[in-house]
Formats: sequence, C-alpha cells, structure tokens
Amino acid sequence: MAKSKLLSALDNEKGRNFKLEKQRKQEKEARKRKAKHISAEDGNDGEEDDGVSLAEEVEAAVNGQAKKEKKKDKKKGLKPAPAPAVEEPEWETDESDEEIDSEDELDDDDDIPDRAALDLSRLEDSDSEGMFDSDEEEEGEEDDDEEEDPEAEDDIPLSDIESLASEDKGDIIPHQRLTINNTAALTAALNRISLPYSKLAFSEYQSITTDEPVDIPDVEDDLNRELAFYKQSLSAVKEARQQLKKEGVPWSRPVDYFAEMVKSDEHMGKIKAKLVDDAAGKKASAEARKQRDLKKFGKQVQVAKLQERAKEKRDTLEKISLLKRKRQGADVTTTNEEDLFDVELDKAEKPTKDQRGPKPKSAGASSGGTGRRSSMGGSGKRKASSGDRDGGDDDGKPNFKRQKKDSKYGFGGKKRHAKSNDAISSADGRGFSAKKMKAGGAHKRLGKDRRAKRN
Amino acid sequence: MAAVYKTLSSSSNGDKVPAGEKKIRQRVLMLSSRGTTYRHRHLLQDLYSLMPHSRKEAKFDSKSKLHQLNELAELYNCNNVLFFEARKGQDLYAWMSKAPNGPTVKFHLQNLHTMEELNFIGNCLKGSRPLLSFDAAFEKQAHLRVIKELFTQIFGVPKTARKVKPFVDHVMGFTIADGKIWIRVYQISETEPGKKKTANGEEADAEPVPTPKKSKGKPEFDVSLVEIGPRFVLTPIVIQEASFGGPIIYENKEFVSPNQIRSDLRRGKAGKYNRRTEETMEAKIRRGDLGLNSHGGRKNEKDPLSDKVLFA
Repeated sequence: MAKSKLLSALDNEKGRNFKLEKQRKQEKEARKRKAKHISAEDGNDGEEDDGVSLAEEVEAAVNGQAKKEKKKDKKKGLKPAPAPAVEEPEWETDESDEEIDSEDELDDDDDIPDRAALDLSRLEDSDSEGMFDSDEEEEGEEDDDEEEDPEAEDDIPLSDIESLASEDKGDIIPHQRLTINNTAALTAALNRISLPYSKLAFSEYQSITTDEPVDIPDVEDDLNRELAFYKQSLSAVKEARQQLKKEGVPWSRPVDYFAEMVKSDEHMGKIKAKLVDDAAGKKASAEARKQRDLKKFGKQVQVAKLQERAKEKRDTLEKISLLKRKRQGADVTTTNEEDLFDVELDKAEKPTKDQRGPKPKSAGASSGGTGRRSSMGGSGKRKASSGDRDGGDDDGKPNFKRQKKDSKYGFGGKKRHAKSNDAISSADGRGFSAKKMKAGGAHKRLGKDRRAKRN
Repeated sequence: MAAVYKTLSSSSNGDKVPAGEKKIRQRVLMLSSRGTTYRHRHLLQDLYSLMPHSRKEAKFDSKSKLHQLNELAELYNCNNVLFFEARKGQDLYAWMSKAPNGPTVKFHLQNLHTMEELNFIGNCLKGSRPLLSFDAAFEKQAHLRVIKELFTQIFGVPKTARKVKPFVDHVMGFTIADGKIWIRVYQISETEPGKKKTANGEEADAEPVPTPKKSKGKPEFDVSLVEIGPRFVLTPIVIQEASFGGPIIYENKEFVSPNQIRSDLRRGKAGKYNRRTEETMEAKIRRGDLGLNSHGGRKNEKDPLSDKVLFA
C-alpha cells in the first residue's frame, strides 16, 4: 500500500530482523492491551487495521465458539454474533459454520516464524494483503480437511460397510445420504397450506391431538401397541363428542337411519361366517380334547376295576383254600374272624351232610351238583375207611403225599357229566326269576363305553 | 335418504352457519401407478370407500413424470393428490400432495392389511365424516406438523362434501411409534350400559368406559371402539416444497430403502460362502507353509544328520 518497492527492497536487505522486531514489538503491545482488557488480540491482528477489521468481519459473520464470542463482545462492543438460527445440528449450513470456526482457530494458532516465512515469500505485496491472503490460503487448506472430518466421524461410507460381514454390521446404520431438514421452509409450507383453525368450528375439521405423546415402549409387542392406539382414539372420541354436542352436530346414527355402509352386507356376512366358523372350531376342539381326556381316564378306571376284581377273587380263593385246610388239618389260624366264618360255613354244610348221610355211597359220588368239595370230602372218607392203602393216619386221612397227588391229578370217579344237571340241581329254583323270563324284563347290559363311564 | 336428511337438518339448524364464512373445499385425487398388487388395489378401494370427497382415477402410467399429476388434479378439480406408487410389484410408496403448489410428502407404506383380509367386525356409514386423532408427537417437529396438516386435509372429510353423511361413526388414529406413522380406523360403537353388548370381539382387552352424555336427559352411553380396517404404517422419506417437484426440504436419514435391505440380506448370504472359501484357502496355505501338503507349498529342509544323508 504505502510502502514503495524500494522500501520493501530495503526491508528485504535488512531482512527479517527488522520485521521480526516489529512484530515482537507489536506483540508486546498486544499483550499490554490484553492485560488492560480482559480479552485480547493475538499478534496477527495487530499489524494493520485493515486486517483486523476484515478478521472481525469474518468473526462477526460467524457464530463462533463460546470463547470467541466472549472475546469479541468485550473487545469492541460489536453486537454479539447472531444466535444460531438453526435448531438442528444436522443442517446444511452447519458445515460452513464449522469451516469458519476452524479459520478462526487458525488465526489464533498462527505462530510468528510461520508468518515471517510467508511474508518473505510475498514481499512485493503490501504486508496487510499478504497477511490476509496467506491466512486465507491456509484456511483453504484447512477447510478441505475440516469438510471431511465430521462426516468421517458420523457416517460410515457404504462401501466400508459392504465389506463387513453381515454379523458385524448389525448395529451400524449406514448413512449414505445427507440429512435435509429445512425447518424454515417446512414452517413456511405449513403456513401456506394450513387451515385457519382458530376461526373454524370444531365440526369443520374434526381433528384432535392428544395432550401427551403416545408412549409405546416396544413396537413389536402387538397387544400393548394396539392398546395404545385404541386408547388414543378413544380419548379423542370422548373429547370430540363433547365438542360436537356443544356445537349441536348430529353424532350417533339413529336406529332407523339406513344407508350404504363401507363394508357391504355380503362382506359382513363373510365376516360373521368366519366368526361362527372360528367359534365352532374352538368348541369342537375343546370337545375333542375333553373326550380324549375322558377316554384316558376311563381306561384307568377300567384297569383299576379289573385289578380290584382279580384281587377279590384271589382273596375268596385264599379263604376257601384256608377253609379246606382247616377242615382237613386241625386249626391253622386262630383268629376270631375266621372262626366265625367257619362256624357259619359248618352250619351251612351240615344239612347237606345229613341229607347225604342215609344215601348210598354211589349216589354221593354221582351228585356233582352239590359241589365238588363235598364229594371230594366224601370220597376221601370212603377211601380212608375202605383200607389204609396209602399209609394214612388214624383219623382216616390219606397220607400227605397222597393228598397232594389227589389234589394235583384228581381222584377216582367219573369226570364226565360233572357239570350236567341232576335231579337235585334241577329241582333247585333259587336262581329262577320270573322277571328275567320276560322279553325285555331284565335290563340289558350296557355297552362297554357306558359301563366304563358309569364306574 | 341422505339427501332428505341433509335438507331436513339444514332447515332445522341452518341458521347456525354464518353466511360469510368461506367453505373449506377438499377434493382428493386418488390413483396408483401401474404394477400394483391386489392388496395395493384393495387398500386403494378401502380408502376410497372411507373418503367420500375423493376421486378415483385410472392407473397413472409413468413413474418419472409425476408432475403430470398436477395437471390431472387440475382437470378433476382436486386440490389434493394421493398417489400410490408400486415398485417391483412389492414395495408401495404413497405420495401425498397439495396439488398446485405443494408441499409433497413421500412415504414408504408397509405392514399393509386391507379390510378384506382383516375380518374385523367394525363397520361404518359410507360417507360419514371421520374424527381424526393425532398423537401429540406430531406437534414436536416441523416436518411432522406439515404431515399432520396434510393428513387433516386429505383424510378429513369436509363438511360440505357431496356424498357426505351427517353422523360421526368412525375415528382414524394416527400415531407415531418407532419413527413411523401407524394408521388405524375404528368404528365408534355406543351401547347402553344396561344391556352391554360384547360386540367387540377383537378388542376384548379394552373394556368400554362410560361417558356422561350431556344433552337433554338422554341415557348415558358406553363408548367403545371396534376396529374396521385397513391397517398400514407410513415412513416419511422426503418432503418437497412444490407439488411433485421443487426443492427437497426434508429428507429422512434413517429410512433404508427396501431394496437396500433385500440386497443386504442377499449379500449376507453370499458373504457366508465367500468367508468359508477364504477360510479353506487360508487353511491350505497354512498347511503348505508347514510342509504338510504333498503338492506345492514349502518342502521340509533335509535334515543334514538324517540316515538318508549320512549313509547315502
């Protein structure tokens, strides 16, 4: 500017020292100023007023970092940097902001030797211009770096992700696109199209917004999600109903108002048929399950019953054999109960003995109807009396071995017709019932299934 | 019948409406692109039956020149456009626009269930005006406010629409969950509390809550909702300033296109094979380095003290 080429050449000759000294001096001044004011200027701004103002302009245009703003405010009563007009951090303009921020930081960080070297390189130009240009150049370099950096932090390029294994990239959301959220434009668009709600009656638009945002913790949880939707709509219905009643708008459809519906009768019929089908299916399956369970249970009951019967039979047989032994041997058991039982049986048996007493022995042998046991008893006696061939005891019993063999193979007599009727059995009318002789008299035996169920 | 009722009711309470008030006029042009599936078509049909102020148009035979829709809307006197764009015979995108000047919102439509397949027992008058119920989250962000306004104008039936019926018997719910907009349609069913009809088979979990009815001593009614259908979920993708054109003023960063998802899945499967082959190759090389392969690889150095060398 003011300096001529000659002067600059002189400077060149004297060189650096002069410059450096000058700068040092200015730096000292700057420090003094810094001491005076709390905020301060760095060495770079002190050189020319021109440069300072330019730098300030840059700063003023930019909403800098907190410390910057503070500095600016105190320094020259400039009006504070405009508050960020942006709410969202992901704005288009953000990047440019960051760029300028970085420039500012650069200004701060400039070192003296650096600047000296730069000045030397551009001696033809005036100092101030040279300074500013050099700064800008550096800024330009830095800008490129800065532009890439934030993206590198936030977004992972898609190409990187593709090379990853599918398991690894589960959590990473690929951000290949730039987010655009132009709030100002959105608001403008909204204002352009929105209805004048404050002037309108509620019945004109019929739209209700909930007071609280609907909170759905887990979208995958179908039941709770649908319940939240349902509640939201229900609350809206209640509110709207009151408002519409206030405005005198017809709300519910009268019963006699018939009109076309959204779903045709045919469609509703289909839905009903499906509901009925579903219900019937449910009922049928429940019934089938019940039957299965019953069947399983019935089988158990039947088995238990058979076992019980078998046990009963075993018990009676045991008792009978006990009795037999008691009759043959002396007293095997001496329990009271058994005695009682024996007495009764003896009493019952005595008359048959008496009956048979006068009869000839052949008749006794032939009378199978009265019971095998009694005939056996009789034959045993006869055997004993006829001759002690088997080495029996004194009381007319055959010996033990003979008894065993008799019981195993049977003894004597004819085995045929043992079960056929004889005069006595056919004269016995105890089992006869006139009721049973009639056509449907005795009730029929139930089927297996029903018997199982009844028990 | 509706016309008769309208004339009667208008004669009865017509004096309430101020004469100077401007009518709200909404007409929706509703159409789809070519290549829709039957479910997409049924959804269109369902929405058409729920919106008496809509005009259904033949399929639109272009996916690139969507601005032609503006002329179409003008032709049919519509100031809203609801356009369904099907891609690849499976993905459905919904465009909603205020016809001449915008804005336009593009959604991805997912989880679509039409009335026909849902078998809900709810039903409502064809042409009755819906209540619109919005989640409070719609007021939180600028782009959602725009979307809400569009919904209000497109799905809300104006009072003066031609085929409109006078009662309010269904409600449309718009809820934001998981960054998506979930839409449900319910019938408002009122039952007298004495004889409580359990008509709501689907919504058995929600018991009707009594609401006091204020007007002239009528009995109080229980209000409950029965879902009508259809159900669908919208993911906003892009908002344009003009109608089917103009600068993009919002773009959803989190939206991943279904193509991307499908290709990721495919790539995942392919990657499995690639990894396995790579591993086998590595194993082979390792074995070769250890001198375990019969062919190729590194040969073991001969031991200078082995018998073969010493007694050769």
